[in-house]
Amino acid sequence: MPGANEKRVIVVGGGLAGLAASIRVAEAGVPVDLFSVVPVKRSHSVCAQGGINACNDVARQQGYSEYEHFDETIYGGDFQADQHPVLEMANMAPRIIDLLDRMGVPFNRTSEGYRDLRLFGGSLFKRTHFAGATTGQQLLYGLDEQTRRYESEGKVTKYEFWEFLWPVVVDGKCVGIVAQDQRTMQIRSFRADAVVMATGGNGLVFGKSTQSVICTGAAAARCYQAGAWMGNPEMIQVHPTAIPGADKTRLMSESARGEGGRVWVPRNKGDARRPKDIPEGERYYFLEERYPKYKNLVPRDIATREIFSICVNDGLGVGGQRQVYLDLTHLPASTHHKLEGILEIYKKFAGEDPQFEPMRIFPSVHYSMGGLYTSFAKGSYNPAEPRTKHLSGSGAPIGSAVGQGLLPGAPANAMTNIPGLYAFGEVNFAYHGANRLGANALLSCIFDGLFCGMSVLGHVADGKGAAGVAQGEYDRVVAQEEAKVKALTDNAGKGDSASPETNPYAIAKEMGDEMTEACTVVRSEGRLKQALATLSSLKERFKRVRLKDSAIWTNQSLLYTRAVGDMLTVAEAIAKGSLERRESRGAHYREDFKERNDDAFMKTTLAKYDPATSSTSIEFVPIDATLIKPTARTYGKSEGAVSTKAAASPHN
Amino acid sequence: MSTQTSAPTTGQPAGAAHNPPAVGRSVVFRIKRCQGPGQASYWQDFKVKIPQNANIISCLQQIALDPVTTDGTRTVPVVWDSGCLEEVCGSCTMLINGKVRQSCSCLLDAIAPNEGDVVTLEPMSKFPVVRDLWVDRSRLFHNLARVKAWVPIDGTYNLGSGPRETPQDQETRYVLSTCMSCGCCLEACPQFNKEEKPADWDHAFIGAHAISQARLFNTHGTGRELAPQRLEVLAGRGGVNDCGNAQNCVKVCPKKIPLTESIAAIGRAVTIHKIKQFFGA
Amino acid sequence: MQVNKQSWYERNYFLIRRLHSLSGIVPIGVFLVVHLVTNSSLVWGKWGLRSEGAGYTVADGGVAYFQKEVRWINEGVPHLWLIELTLWGAIAFHSIFGVVIAMSGKSNTARYAYQGNWRYTLQRISGYVGIFFIFYHVATLRWGWTFLVPGGTLWSHNFATSTLAAALRGGEDFTPAGVLVSLFYFVGITLLIFHFANGLWTAAITWGLTISQQAQRRWGVVCAGLGAGLMLAGWAALGAALAVSPARARELELRAAPPGTPAPAPAPAALLSR
Repeated sequence: MPGANEKRVIVVGGGLAGLAASIRVAEAGVPVDLFSVVPVKRSHSVCAQGGINACNDVARQQGYSEYEHFDETIYGGDFQADQHPVLEMANMAPRIIDLLDRMGVPFNRTSEGYRDLRLFGGSLFKRTHFAGATTGQQLLYGLDEQTRRYESEGKVTKYEFWEFLWPVVVDGKCVGIVAQDQRTMQIRSFRADAVVMATGGNGLVFGKSTQSVICTGAAAARCYQAGAWMGNPEMIQVHPTAIPGADKTRLMSESARGEGGRVWVPRNKGDARRPKDIPEGERYYFLEERYPKYKNLVPRDIATREIFSICVNDGLGVGGQRQVYLDLTHLPASTHHKLEGILEIYKKFAGEDPQFEPMRIFPSVHYSMGGLYTSFAKGSYNPAEPRTKHLSGSGAPIGSAVGQGLLPGAPANAMTNIPGLYAFGEVNFAYHGANRLGANALLSCIFDGLFCGMSVLGHVADGKGAAGVAQGEYDRVVAQEEAKVKALTDNAGKGDSASPETNPYAIAKEMGDEMTEACTVVRSEGRLKQALATLSSLKERFKRVRLKDSAIWTNQSLLYTRAVGDMLTVAEAIAKGSLERRESRGAHYREDFKERNDDAFMKTTLAKYDPATSSTSIEFVPIDATLIKPTARTYGKSEGAVSTKAAASPHN
Repeated sequence: MSTQTSAPTTGQPAGAAHNPPAVGRSVVFRIKRCQGPGQASYWQDFKVKIPQNANIISCLQQIALDPVTTDGTRTVPVVWDSGCLEEVCGSCTMLINGKVRQSCSCLLDAIAPNEGDVVTLEPMSKFPVVRDLWVDRSRLFHNLARVKAWVPIDGTYNLGSGPRETPQDQETRYVLSTCMSCGCCLEACPQFNKEEKPADWDHAFIGAHAISQARLFNTHGTGRELAPQRLEVLAGRGGVNDCGNAQNCVKVCPKKIPLTESIAAIGRAVTIHKIKQFFGA
Repeated sequence: MQVNKQSWYERNYFLIRRLHSLSGIVPIGVFLVVHLVTNSSLVWGKWGLRSEGAGYTVADGGVAYFQKEVRWINEGVPHLWLIELTLWGAIAFHSIFGVVIAMSGKSNTARYAYQGNWRYTLQRISGYVGIFFIFYHVATLRWGWTFLVPGGTLWSHNFATSTLAAALRGGEDFTPAGVLVSLFYFVGITLLIFHFANGLWTAAITWGLTISQQAQRRWGVVCAGLGAGLMLAGWAALGAALAVSPARARELELRAAPPGTPAPAPAPAALLSR
C-alpha cells in the first residue's frame, strides 16, 4: 500500500490524541507528518495524574458495564454531549486499556498480577486504571515509544518545534497546512490528504491554569478563523483545588480530600496568624458547615463555587487573598504516605510540607470541554425510544460490540465542518458535554486517535485529496502568514516599548485576568458584556502591539505575540457562548439564570467566525439525545435529600 | 515560608528555626546569553523583584515583560524552553548556579533568600544552543531509538491484554518509566560530551537515560524480545562500557531513578549476552 | 536499519573494553598485591625467617628475608622472562587503552563535587601518574637505566635492599634529587593502589556483579579495606627502604650472597645526580 499512492496525513499535536492517531494511520501504511511545538514526549498529556476509565472484568461481574460508563459520562456532562460518540468511546475503552497494557504501560497491579483499579468521581464502581500518580505521563510515553518505532521505520516524520499556522483549504477542503520552524523561523507549506488537529486545550486564555505554557489554544483558534466552527466554547472546567503559583497553578488531586483533607479559612476577616496558631473554634470549615452530608467531598462544581464565593464575595480568603486552606496536618503518617505523590508536588512548588502546614489552594481553570465542532456517523444502535437513566449495577442492556455508537471508518467521525480537517482529543468538543468526569479525558484522547484515526484513513481512501491542488494555493497561504509576521516584526521596538498599552505580555495578562473574572466559576449577563467590551478594546490594542524582539532566529517574542492575537479570538468565543447560554448547566453557571433549561438550551453552542468583521456569532444546534432521556442531575440519591438538593441546585 | 539551603525537595517541618526570606527583595539574575548557533556567548544581569512563591520561570517571565539590564540597557527578552512547569515534562532544564536542574521547580526562596543575591542561569552545556537558555536535545531522543526503547507490539488491533506482571516488577518498571528525558543525567556525566555532528552520535556515549530505558524494556514480557538487539548496541562503542562510573547521573536525576543500578544490570546482561554469543548459545 | 560497516575496532570493542578491565585485575592487580606484600617484608621479614630470624633486629631481619625472596624470584622462578613479558604487555595495553578511555571524558568535579565524581577524576589522574611511575620504576630498577637514578646506583638482585635504598636516597645519603625520587615513589605507590582498589570497585559494576546500590556500597567497603591494607603495605615497604642505611644492608646482603659476589659500585653516568 505505501508508495503505490502518494497519500499523506498530517497530525498537528503530539499528545495522546495526536500520537494515537499517528500510530493508527502509519500502521495502515499511510505516511504521517507529525507536527508539534515541543518534542512530543513533552506534550501536556504528561500532566494527567488520576487514571483512565474503562469497564473491566471485576466491575462487570459486580453489575457494571460499558453501557453504565456511557450513561455516567452523559449524565456527568449534564446531557450536553451528543450521545452516539460517547457510547462508542465507552464501548471501546476496555480494548484501549488492553492495547496500552500491551505497549508496556506500567499499570499498577494487584498481588495476583492483574491491573489494579481505583474509585473515581461519578461512579459507584472501581473502573479507573492507573499508573502511580502519573498515569497521563505513562500513557503518553507508551504512545511516544510506539511513535519512535514508526519514526525509525520511516513511517512517521516528526516536525518538532514546528508551529501550525494555518490550514490550507481549497474548494472547501483541507489539503495541507502552513507551519513555521520555531528555531529557524522558516515558514513553509505541507501537503496532506487529511489534517488532524490534536492540539489540546486553551488554558492560557485564562492566564494562569493547570495547563502547560504551550496550551494557548492558538492552533484551534487559527482553524476557527479559517472557517472551522467551535462547539460549546463556554464549557470550561474549573478544578476546585489547585496550588496557586506565580507562573501557573498546579493541580492538587481530589484524593487529598478523599483521604480526609479538610477545607477551611480563618473565621475572622484579616486574621494574620499562622494557621497552626488559629484555634479550632476560629476556623471556618465552610464546606462541612454548608454541606453537612457531603462535607469536603461535594461535587467539583459546587466545591469550586463555594471556595470562590468565600474568597471573592465574603472576603474570607487566607491573608485576604484568593486562597483557602486544604488541611492534611491532622491525618496520620500512613495517610500521608498514601498521598506521597501529590504531597511531593506541593512540597516542591509551594516550598512547604503539607504534613506540617495546611496547603493553600484555590480553584483553577483545568480543562476545556468545548473545542472544534465535529460531526459523526451514527452506528447501529438506534432504539425507537431513548432509554431512561440506567440503574447503576443493573448489568448491560446492550452489548459492547464495535460500531454501535459510531460507524467505524466513516470519514465523518471527528471531522470538522471543513472536509479533511479533523479534531482529536481535548480540541474536539465531543464526549464531555458541559462537564467532564475525572479520568475520562485520557480515554477520549486515545479513543479519537485510534477509532477516529480509521475515519481519517477512510477520508484519505475516499477523496481526491491534495493530489491535483496547484502549488499556488499553498504559496498563497505561506504569503499570508509571512505578511502577518512582517506586520508584527515591523513594529518591533517602535514607540515606547515599555508601555503596557502595546506590550503583548500586558495585553495577555489583562485578557487572562478578565476571562478568569468574568468567565469561569460564576457568570452573569452584565459581567460578560463588560468582558466582551474589554476583549474588543484589547483586540484594538493588539493591532498596535509592539514586539520585544525583531530577530529572525528563534524569536519567541514573535511566537508568543502572534498566539496572543489568536487567544483573543478564542476568548471572545468563550465569552460570547457564555453570554448567549442563558441557563446553568454543568460547569457553566449563570447567577442570573440558575436553572437548567432543556427546552431552550439542551443544544450545542455553535460559534462561527466572520473574517469580514473579525467577530464571533453564536447559534444553537440540536443534540443527538436519542439514546438516553435527560433527567435532573441529582448525584447521590442514596445519600439523602439535603445533598441531592445541594448537588442539583448549587444556589440553594 | 520555609527556607531551604539544600535541594528544595527537602521539606522543613513547621516550627523549625529558620529565617524567612526577605519579602519584596530583589535578586540579580546573571544570564549567559547567545543569539544563535555559532555566535559568541555573553553575560547579562537583570534585577528582578521577587514575587511570592516565585520560581525561576516566573522571574524569567518578569524579565520578558520589560527586559532592561542592571546597567540600564534595554535588550531583547531571554529565550528559554518550558512546558508543564510541574517537573514532569523535562523542558525547562538548565544550569542554575552552575548545576543542572529544572527551572520550574527551583524556588527563589530556597536559592536566593536575601536582597541582592545573585542567581546564574546558563544553557545546558552538552547540547548545542539554539538561543540563550534553549538547547537542542535531539541527540537524547535519537539515543532512545538506538536502543529500540519500545515494546514491539503486533499492532493496534484488539488482541487482548498484555502480559501479567507482579506488583514488584511493576514497581521496578514504573520508576524507570518516569524518566522524562530531561537530560540532567547527561549534563552531569563526564563521559557524555557535546558532539556537534550527528554523524558522531552513534559511537559517542549513549548516556544513562538510554541504558536505563533499555533495562525497562528488557524487563517487559514482550519488550525483552528485542533484548539481544539492544544489548548488541550497548556492548558496542558508546554503549554501557563507556560509562566511567562517576555516578553523577543518579545524584542529579530529579525523578530519583536508580540509573546506576540500571547501568550495572545492563552491564551484567551485556556480559552474559556476549558470553552466550561466544559459545554460540 | 543501517549498513553494518564497522571497523575492526568497533567489531571488537566489547572484547577490548573487557580485556582492559580484566587486565587491571589479572595479571596487573594480582602482581601488584604480590609485589607489595613481598616488599613489605622489609618490615615483617624477621618473623618471616621464623627460627632463623631470632638473631636479627627487626630491620636486619627485614633486609635478610627480603633478600631471600628477591633471590628466589630472580633465580628460582621458572620462565621469569615469560612472566615479565606478559606483565609488561598487560601494563602497556592497560596504559595505552586507558589513555584512550581517559581522553573520552571531561572531568567536572568543579560543578559536581560528589565523592564518586572525585574518584572518577582521580582514577584518571592516578592512571596517568601511574604510567610514568611504573615506567620509571621498571626502567631504573629492572632495565638498569641508571642515568635516571640520582647517584647512578645500578640495582642488583643480590643486593636488593642496599641498591634500592641508594636509588631512593640518591646515593649513600639523602640528596635533594633522592628526596624527589622518594616523594615520587610515595605518590606513585599511593595513586596506583587507589587506582587498583577503585578499579576493582568499578569492575564489579562493569561486569554486572554488583547491581543494587547496597551491593555496590558493600563491595565498596571491601575494596576500600583492600586498598587500605595495600596502602599500609606499600607505605611500610617504602618507609623501611628509606630508613635502612645502604651500608648496613650491604653488609647483611654480602653475608648471604654466593661466595665471590662483588659488592655493587655506583655507575658512572647519572643523569639525575646533578
